[in-house]
Amino acid sequence: MADQMQSQGASRFGRVLVYALLTLMCLYYLLPLYVMISTSLKPLDEIRTGNLLSLPVSPNFEAWIKAWSGACSGVTCDGLKGYFWNSIRFVVPSVLITTIVGAFNGYVLSMWRFRGSDVMFTALLIGCFIPFQVILLPMARTLGTLGIANSTTGLIFVHVVYGLAFTTLFFRNYYVTVPDELVKAAKIDGAGFFRIFWRIILPLSLPIIVVSIIWQFTQIWNDFLFGVVFSSGEQQPITVALNNLVNTSTGIKEYNVDMAAAIIAALPTLFVYFVAGKYFVRGLTAGAVKG
Amino acid sequence: MGALSIRDVRKSYGTQDILKGINIEVEDGEFLILVGPSGCGKSTLLSMIAGLDSITSGEVHIGGRLVNNLSPKDRDIAMVFQSYALYPNMTVRQNISFGLEIRKVPKAEQDKIVAQVAQILQMEQLLDRKPSQLSGGQRQRVAMGRAIARDPTLFLFDEPLSNLDAKLRVEMRTEIKLLHKRVGKTIVYVTHDQIEAMTLGDKIAVMKAGEVMQYGTPQQIYDNPVNLFVASFMGSPSMNFIPCQVVSVNNKLGLKIETGGQTHVFPVDAKGLENYMGKEVIVGIRPEKITHKVDFLAGAPNFYVAESLIEIAEPTGADTLLMVKMNGKDVVCRVHPDHARTHGERMPLMFDMSKTVYFDPLTELRIA
Repeated sequence: MADQMQSQGASRFGRVLVYALLTLMCLYYLLPLYVMISTSLKPLDEIRTGNLLSLPVSPNFEAWIKAWSGACSGVTCDGLKGYFWNSIRFVVPSVLITTIVGAFNGYVLSMWRFRGSDVMFTALLIGCFIPFQVILLPMARTLGTLGIANSTTGLIFVHVVYGLAFTTLFFRNYYVTVPDELVKAAKIDGAGFFRIFWRIILPLSLPIIVVSIIWQFTQIWNDFLFGVVFSSGEQQPITVALNNLVNTSTGIKEYNVDMAAAIIAALPTLFVYFVAGKYFVRGLTAGAVKG
Repeated sequence: MGALSIRDVRKSYGTQDILKGINIEVEDGEFLILVGPSGCGKSTLLSMIAGLDSITSGEVHIGGRLVNNLSPKDRDIAMVFQSYALYPNMTVRQNISFGLEIRKVPKAEQDKIVAQVAQILQMEQLLDRKPSQLSGGQRQRVAMGRAIARDPTLFLFDEPLSNLDAKLRVEMRTEIKLLHKRVGKTIVYVTHDQIEAMTLGDKIAVMKAGEVMQYGTPQQIYDNPVNLFVASFMGSPSMNFIPCQVVSVNNKLGLKIETGGQTHVFPVDAKGLENYMGKEVIVGIRPEKITHKVDFLAGAPNFYVAESLIEIAEPTGADTLLMVKMNGKDVVCRVHPDHARTHGERMPLMFDMSKTVYFDPLTELRIA
């Protein structure tokens, strides 16, 4: 009895410690976000005179509006608006294409093994470990040859090529857990290659599709290097524009606009995570196959 | 021409032979069991019949048609898998009608077939559920329903009861047997469970290491196993194997058996055994042939009595299994509980030698 009391006390102490530590960590990681948001809501005077951590006296969205449609980067003063849509224009197709083709690759590599399919998979796997910088020059050559250099199509192409290694890996590893007997049963029922994919395998894939979309969207939206190298001027993605805006050397440094612009640039990935994360249902197929 | 004919079918991966020339003929409406330990090639053979695995050489005929080069859907078969393999995203109704839909059966006809199948398997109330909402037994029933809806020449079952618990397994076994009687179609059924094999099969093919060891009715295989492997595989508890010396007694052959501290000689009359005079043979005797002493039978031809020391007694309710030592080997006897003694005690045991079988200790083949 006494032992039990003691161990209960010990476990309570441990719990308090864990929570204290977690709260501390949370504060540590959330502090920059707090600073960004509060700064973006302050006018410039307040930023110059006030404390970094103090709450805005009279919060307003002027900096946000300026960041969206009036901030200057280089010679133009149109804000991030145009670049935001630039990013949407190439990120959405890239994410969709890599996810769909990745699902298809994974299906073939796990359910329809052929001679050399393992070698092929290994080769794709290596693709995940190739650093961005290594492919810059060969890719520039390739885009030039294909006649899609400096275009949205070219940027989509780059991201699809680079992203396929990852999405194929996701889907292939997910599909190896789907029992072979499901495909065999469908074959006996008379379903062919595409029908099995479309009617049996794809409906099982929601969790991994969500994973793939979150991952790819975050990767491609946040990419800077490919954006700065393979696009120019009006075509540039928001990450490049944000950099230009923040690093513009003319005039005074508008911290509130910089902060607002940075948050705007980060919002879509947060949005995707919140929306899609809800559908991140694990074990959709649990119990469907074995008792 | 029978429903299924397998002629000298072989399967090799590289230099490794998985199946070494299988020959089986199944008549229309027969229930064939492929039984054997894991790795014997029984599931591979089933996959080859289904068309899910390629045939290295030989011929498979289904309903008189050579099907070697036909795809699974054109072989007129239906298959029930160990894992049930129900489509998780479809309802029971969609699971059953999926195959019909692909074969472009009209919608009205599909509904009729689904209703019929649901009625046969008594699962009308399950039709709109997803597989994840069903119990193991219900899933198995849906898997069978999907097969029945196809109305094939040949049903293939791949260890369909292995994932069920013991009680449900017995129930479903009966259900499958009833279904076979009702539908009257040819079934090929793979299992590693010899009790399923005995209870369900019209014919059994006992397989080992890619070969059919014996092919026959359950009773033939139980009573007349061709070798030591078949004898030991079929029956539970399995057959006793006692190494015995063949001796001569009153101008007849006899078996020397030492048990309970005494040596007995049981006269036997078996063709082929005379060649083993003075040598050792393996005597195979089923546990139910060694029982307590029944007075009116003792002394009748082929019945002998010997007293023995009980080492372990295992009551099962209906019978008590007694373990004794004979010629140094553990031997299981099946005794009525009223007559059974417990361990450490001695009791007379009566041997019915009429169905005893004999094996050569080296070749493990049947002598007599």
